[in-house]
Amino acid sequence: MAISRPVCLALAVLACAAGMVAGWRLYLPLGLAPVVAVLFLRVASQWLLPLLGVATAGLAVSLLATNEGEGSLPDEGMNYGGCFALVLSLGGVLAAHRMLGMARAAPDRASRTLTEEAAPGEPAGAPLLHPDDRLASTLASARAFWTGVPQVMRYRQRQPDGSYRWFRTRSVPSYEAVVEISDLETVREEPMTHSPTFASPTADTVQAARTVEDLFGNGWAFDAAGAWIYLPLFAQTTLGLTPDDLNASLRDGDISWKLLLHPDEYEAVAIRWRHSLETGAPFRAEFRIRRANGVYAWAKTAAKPFLDTEGHIAGWFGTSIDIDLPKKTEAALRAKEFQLRQLIEAVPTMIWSTTASGTPTYANQRFIDTTGASLADITAPDGSASLSVIHPEDRQAARDAFGRSMLQGIPYAATYRQLRADGSYRWTATRAEPLRDEAGVIHQWYGVSVDIHERVVAEMSLRESEHAHRQLVETLPALIYCATPEGKPTYRSEKLRDYLGFGLTDKDDAERTRLENTLDAIIHPDDLAAVKERYAHALSTGEPYQMKHRLRRFDGVYRWVETRAAAMRNAEGTIVQWNGICLEIEDQVRAQEDLRLAQDNLARASQAASLAELSASIAHEVNQPLAAIVANSHTCLRWLRAEPPNHPRAMITAERIIRDSNAAADVVSRIRALFKQSVQPRTSTALPSVIGEARRLLTEEATRRRIRLHVDIEDGLPRVVFDRVQLQQVLINLLRNAMEAMEAAEGDKVVGIRVHRAEGDVQVRVSDLGAGVAFPDRIFEPFFTTKESGMGMGLAICRSIVESHGGRLWIESNEPRGAIFVFTLPVETDVAA
Amino acid sequence: MTAEDHVVFVVDDDARIREALVDMLESYGIRAITFGSAGEYARAAKPEMTACLVLDVELPDINGLDFQTQIANAGHPPIVFITGHGSIPASVRAIRHGAVDFLTKPFSDADLMAAIRTALARDREERAARDELGALRRRHADLTPREREVLPLVISGLLNKQAAAELGISEVTLQMHRRNVMQKMDAASLADLVRMAEKLEIPLSGSRRAGGP
Repeated sequence: MAISRPVCLALAVLACAAGMVAGWRLYLPLGLAPVVAVLFLRVASQWLLPLLGVATAGLAVSLLATNEGEGSLPDEGMNYGGCFALVLSLGGVLAAHRMLGMARAAPDRASRTLTEEAAPGEPAGAPLLHPDDRLASTLASARAFWTGVPQVMRYRQRQPDGSYRWFRTRSVPSYEAVVEISDLETVREEPMTHSPTFASPTADTVQAARTVEDLFGNGWAFDAAGAWIYLPLFAQTTLGLTPDDLNASLRDGDISWKLLLHPDEYEAVAIRWRHSLETGAPFRAEFRIRRANGVYAWAKTAAKPFLDTEGHIAGWFGTSIDIDLPKKTEAALRAKEFQLRQLIEAVPTMIWSTTASGTPTYANQRFIDTTGASLADITAPDGSASLSVIHPEDRQAARDAFGRSMLQGIPYAATYRQLRADGSYRWTATRAEPLRDEAGVIHQWYGVSVDIHERVVAEMSLRESEHAHRQLVETLPALIYCATPEGKPTYRSEKLRDYLGFGLTDKDDAERTRLENTLDAIIHPDDLAAVKERYAHALSTGEPYQMKHRLRRFDGVYRWVETRAAAMRNAEGTIVQWNGICLEIEDQVRAQEDLRLAQDNLARASQAASLAELSASIAHEVNQPLAAIVANSHTCLRWLRAEPPNHPRAMITAERIIRDSNAAADVVSRIRALFKQSVQPRTSTALPSVIGEARRLLTEEATRRRIRLHVDIEDGLPRVVFDRVQLQQVLINLLRNAMEAMEAAEGDKVVGIRVHRAEGDVQVRVSDLGAGVAFPDRIFEPFFTTKESGMGMGLAICRSIVESHGGRLWIESNEPRGAIFVFTLPVETDVAA
Repeated sequence: MTAEDHVVFVVDDDARIREALVDMLESYGIRAITFGSAGEYARAAKPEMTACLVLDVELPDINGLDFQTQIANAGHPPIVFITGHGSIPASVRAIRHGAVDFLTKPFSDADLMAAIRTALARDREERAARDELGALRRRHADLTPREREVLPLVISGLLNKQAAAELGISEVTLQMHRRNVMQKMDAASLADLVRMAEKLEIPLSGSRRAGGP
């Protein structure tokens, strides 16, 4: 129920009048009626509380005035005394009521600021103080306020049983930061027995200020124009200023506060103060007041107008309460919070928090700026996190992960595409940790989202390019591998693994290196020695490796491959890896093999043909005269046997026999001449060069036959004199024989050429690992051959050549198998001598 | 003592061989005519008498074996090959194409003479057979057209009556024709006539005429 102010005033005046009339002339209890009515009304309107006070005060004043004015009326003395008691009890009721309202209005405030050592000026404590200590405690409060120095004081406090106990308290300024001046006003109900001077409204104002001072240790009063009319004596002495000193500023058009105010705040305070002075509105402000030591301290200042009986403003009263510490604490807190906020905003990440159940509670500015989504946007209607900033494709996974984290209390980590203010999505890594109390209960989730788009994109492109490279390697129709600089295999393409039928580490064991195990497992035994030799050479020199050999396939079949490997070097040129490729050349090799066979066959055929031709020619040449000789011989015999013998004819025939025999002899010598080597001038030549030449001539053939030529020439050989062409013919003949001897041989195929000095000769040994020679005695006979297509002339010619050089040619057995053809050549000195 | 009813042709590019063989054959009383090449032999006019060809395989103008093939259809005397170096395939080829022998030089006179004698004998037989066939052909040519019709029917073993019906003539007429045939062909019997027809390669005609032209 709202009752307007004039009505209230009217009611109050009515109450006063009624009180006076009732208390003075009529019956005392009737004076109680308006008070009860006002009390009743107070329940309905807070505004009536001050009016009640005014009314009660009016009642009390009328009583006193009556008492003085009427002099002593013995018969009515009892009556007046009863009225006074009633007013006192009424004041007590009001005070109790006010305290009740106070306690109801701010119980937590009281519990927080009032301790056992509470300032004695606190309203709740004030009535409990022993009256003798009240002034002292007020002073202490004022001193604390005006000097900022904590005050220690002793006072007696009333106990519930009515007795007083001594307390020692320490009074520091400004415990009460929230003093409602409206509450204080009721204090005016306190009986003003100490200063019963109510000469003017100004005096009333000062009285009100004193009352406030009693309660808060500080109080002051102004006249209606804002000039100081009361400032506690202690304040005056402490500050060294009298109200007149302060009022001096009024002459300059400033407000009377000027000397106490911080220059920075003067203007704002002045505006409000003037406003209050003009309108009568209560003045409330927080500003700094200069202390005696010149330090400005924050104070909360409140002032209310004091109205005279006509309702005009008679003056202002109020108090200032020190709020310096809370203010500074608050400022410090604010600064700290600001700093923290600045920090949070400055961190280049998106920070957010949710409740334990996942309701978003905070998102930093960067989050909002980056995603373009406010806290409301990321909160679903049901209070959960909407995850609307997560890409729809990633949302469910993130939701599941977050739900799982919340359920199990485990840290949350997710990477997903997050919405950006421009509508695009960027890869973002999000982590969240729970904040727990001592009991381990989760209170909040704090999360951080970091834009990792560039990294993810780079990683993805890297992955893609790596994938592409790997695909490239894997799809190449070749077998690819990598190895360490020492040759240890480190990678095999899938095709190679499939081809071999085992993985990189499948053949590892403790005893031998992976390289050895691998080579042993996959290289054909016949090729193994050569492969190892070449591979070792490549590894030691860094030269590219190239080799054709047979490779064991997963099914145990050996197939021809060509392996090429090259060293990969770093910027310093150090080998960091060997990369190898293995191409299957089985078909190629097979084709080559077929071609070679065809060539061999052709060569053999042509050899056979030429041989047949040669032999036909020889036979024809020899047989013609022989046939003639035989025929003539028979004829000759017939002529001689005839009866009578025909001697003339026999003689002619015999002559023809001689003639044809000579012709035959000529043929034979002509054939011999055909086989006879050309007689070249013999030169003194270094044997190694001829051997090297012969080796070169046969390298191709040796490679084709998978035969290694092993040459071992002793250093410092003496020079020998020989026919270069002839000697080469001997060497080639012997080497070719050695290679042919191993055509059907199994295992390692090596032809050895060893040249060394032996006594007075140089000995050349050509060894093979073939089947050996079955007829060592006959092998040098002309026309003796063990070969299908041989003329049987090769070794015979060789021997004749060697012997024509003064050397010898013989055969020895090789160990463990095969044969060694040895020939000697006499050293030069012998010839020269 | 040289018999003039046969001759040996010797083809060899080696004059010494030709000389020796002429001499040798002379010692056996056989006349020899020598040629230095196959072409020489082919071009020469040769006496029409029993003969034998001693042919060297290795000739300057043509291989002896090829020459044998060349003259195979021209009617030539049996061949005895002589060669400086014989090979089995060559000898097989030569024998398969009708050569009498294939001798590798040097050969004994006995081997050569045996081969030459065999060859001459074979030539003689062939000549005789050739002469008889010629006479038969001449006699067959003397037959009248009707008689040439009668001959196949007779040798096919048809009865006179059947043969007459075949030709649409009377049996008596047929018998007359048949007698003439036997006479003209100088056949002693029907069997003789059959043998002659065989040599003349006259086909049997035993089938009845199956009507219609």
